[in-house]
Amino acid sequence: MAALPDAIAVDPARPLPGAGGGLPACAAIDRRATGPGLMALAVPAGLSPRARPLADLPGKPIESLLLPLGLATAPGPAPGARGQYVICRAPPGPALAETPGPWPEAALLDQVLRPAAAALAALAALGLTHRAIRPDNVFRPAPGQPVTLGAAWAAPPAMHQPAIAEPPYVAMCLAEGRGDGHPADDVYALGVLLLCLALGEAPLIGLSPDAMIRAKLAHGSFDALTAGRRLPALLSDLLRGMLAEDPDHRPPAALLADPMAARARRLAARPPRRAAHGLRVGAEPVGDARSLAYAIATAPEAGLRALRSGATDLWLRRELGDSALAMRLEEQLHLRALPPAEASSAAEALLLARAVAILDPLAPLTWQGMALWPDGLGPALASAPPDRQRALGAMVAAETVAAWGEARAQRADPLPRRAEARLWRGYLTQPGAAGGMRRLIYELNRLLPCASPAVAGQAVAQLAALPAALEAAAAAPSRSAAGPVDREMLAFIAARQELGAAPPPETLGADGAPTPETQLELLARLQARLHPVPLPALAGWLAALAAPRPSEWRNPARRVALAAQLDQLATAGMLAPMLAALRDPSALAADATGYAAASAECAQLDAALAALAEGGAGRAASARRLGQELAVGLGIAALTTVLGMALFG
Amino acid sequence: MARKAKPKERPTAPRTEAPGRSLAWVQGLACGALVAMAPGFAVLGGVLGAPSWVALALDRAAGRPVLRSVALCNAAACVAPVRAFWAGGHGLDAAWAVVGGPLVLALAWGAGAAGWALAEVCPLGVRLVLEAAAAARAVRLRARRAAVAKEWALQD
Repeated sequence: MAALPDAIAVDPARPLPGAGGGLPACAAIDRRATGPGLMALAVPAGLSPRARPLADLPGKPIESLLLPLGLATAPGPAPGARGQYVICRAPPGPALAETPGPWPEAALLDQVLRPAAAALAALAALGLTHRAIRPDNVFRPAPGQPVTLGAAWAAPPAMHQPAIAEPPYVAMCLAEGRGDGHPADDVYALGVLLLCLALGEAPLIGLSPDAMIRAKLAHGSFDALTAGRRLPALLSDLLRGMLAEDPDHRPPAALLADPMAARARRLAARPPRRAAHGLRVGAEPVGDARSLAYAIATAPEAGLRALRSGATDLWLRRELGDSALAMRLEEQLHLRALPPAEASSAAEALLLARAVAILDPLAPLTWQGMALWPDGLGPALASAPPDRQRALGAMVAAETVAAWGEARAQRADPLPRRAEARLWRGYLTQPGAAGGMRRLIYELNRLLPCASPAVAGQAVAQLAALPAALEAAAAAPSRSAAGPVDREMLAFIAARQELGAAPPPETLGADGAPTPETQLELLARLQARLHPVPLPALAGWLAALAAPRPSEWRNPARRVALAAQLDQLATAGMLAPMLAALRDPSALAADATGYAAASAECAQLDAALAALAEGGAGRAASARRLGQELAVGLGIAALTTVLGMALFG
Repeated sequence: MARKAKPKERPTAPRTEAPGRSLAWVQGLACGALVAMAPGFAVLGGVLGAPSWVALALDRAAGRPVLRSVALCNAAACVAPVRAFWAGGHGLDAAWAVVGGPLVLALAWGAGAAGWALAEVCPLGVRLVLEAAAAARAVRLRARRAAVAKEWALQD
């Protein structure tokens, strides 16, 4: 991602209502020049901005699109907390939602379709999608001027899209789990925008999203949205193509730049089979296979009953007349061979996901009443409440993405799905603090800020910003007694893969959090690689925690001296020398040798004291022997003296 | 009828006399010869050396430490009487004259008693010295151990 110049600053005190297309926006100031105004779009809390557009788009010459300039952090809505902001150019005028009345066809083609199609074609050439084309996110500087597509980079793709603006297979998904999608989905949204402008109002007003999806599935998007209302011939032909059910049948954005050529592109699509009599699954009867798939996805219990009872098979064969689909369903799911008593909820959910994919190859991944696209799993997990997060975790653990990909192999190669399913399951089941749900969430949301309490409110989304944030946290009086790195931060660090292998389990404490020495090692590596400036507050925090352990440093005097040395090194703010002092191999070897010698000496002294205590009898025997010899010696001395006196007078 | 097997003759070890028994015979012969040939010396040795003879009879310990101590001290006290006996003609009368002196007798027997006392008191003294030395060494060892344990935080 391109670094944002320091001269650009966010001004949260100057909100820009309506500029964010549904997201809070405020002014951003570029102190260097007096060019077009900038705006800052607030990233929703707990979610990640779109990483790929933020990495690939800055600096690209794309007209009629509010390109991102970079990512910034500034004080957010919560007091004392900072938030992430995507900086981009401010909209050139009001949103189209504020423009009343129906638009003439020529204006729609010249001022909306052509500039928007050119921008979408440029995005598609980069392998990107917009996914936020709706009346409140398309802007026009003045009447008669071409429109500009708004920014779509601060929130997960299509998160704020209304159900009407998305094809059914996207609209039925969780708002955060719609994924990047296909450029053809942008074409669909652009078609809906053109239709709204041509009609002067949004069609299907008053219908719930569920009813909209059912209507689109039952009648086709074009028929459901136009509902027999008259449109200009050229526009009608264009919209019929742009609102095609199959994304492969929609004209590419580059072709839409020439409406006449796009109109001439006609693809013959077989109309879907419709049954004479509907099959009731859930609340309403369904009349075609795609509607049946949607009903099974939204009412899994009723769908499972219909599948198990054979009602689905019978209906597909007799009412719908699609024996091939019925056979494919039976061949892949083996419904008759599946014993009902042994089926677990995960197995049932997996079966339903495969059934939906077979019935409607366009449908997204479904799981226990939820629907999402695999590339939307990250935002869906990040924003999910705990019970939904557990359900999605079970989905990942069952490698449902792989089974779903295999069930719709005619739409896409299942091998990449299988690979990513195994990779995600590996993250989820990896033991230790570097695995589990948090690791998976950080892996799938590359710009999601670290949620550790130590850096809460500082919007640390990249490892390079972590040391400075921890330095600020270390200076606060309310710093944690357990140290700066907890399980959450460890998962964040492991997911960013800047440090290679995760810390081994033996370096973790009882609660899964790393030991102070492991924290020091992690942060020393971070400082050396990403932020080589002194961090005295953080070093002091770690010096207080990473005191020499008695199990490693045996000599108390040496421990005290080492602690003093750590304190002294902490004042310099560099973590690597502290770690080196704590792990000095020669000092550790000397300490271990000294401890072994002291232990041996103590054992010898204990043995000598025990021998002294038990040697009373031996000393008594020795004393008796020596005393008697002494008496004999005295007798000899007396005799010798007397004899000498007798001899020498 | 099967013949009875002859019992096997066991080899018998040759009988050997205890070495102390022949020594007693030699001592008896020597004493007899001394009484017959030098009755004065026998009287003198028998009376003045009475503590040693008593110790010889009572001390059954290995090496006879009490006997040796008593005998040496007893002998030291007998040197002067023996010289007086020799100067007095070393006959039986002279022997009786010497042993008749109460001072001589008291000195010889007192020396024997002192020898016994030495044999009993010296082991006690040596025991006291050894115990004191052991106690002093234990104090030094405990101090050293406490210092090492404190330096390395070793448990007692």
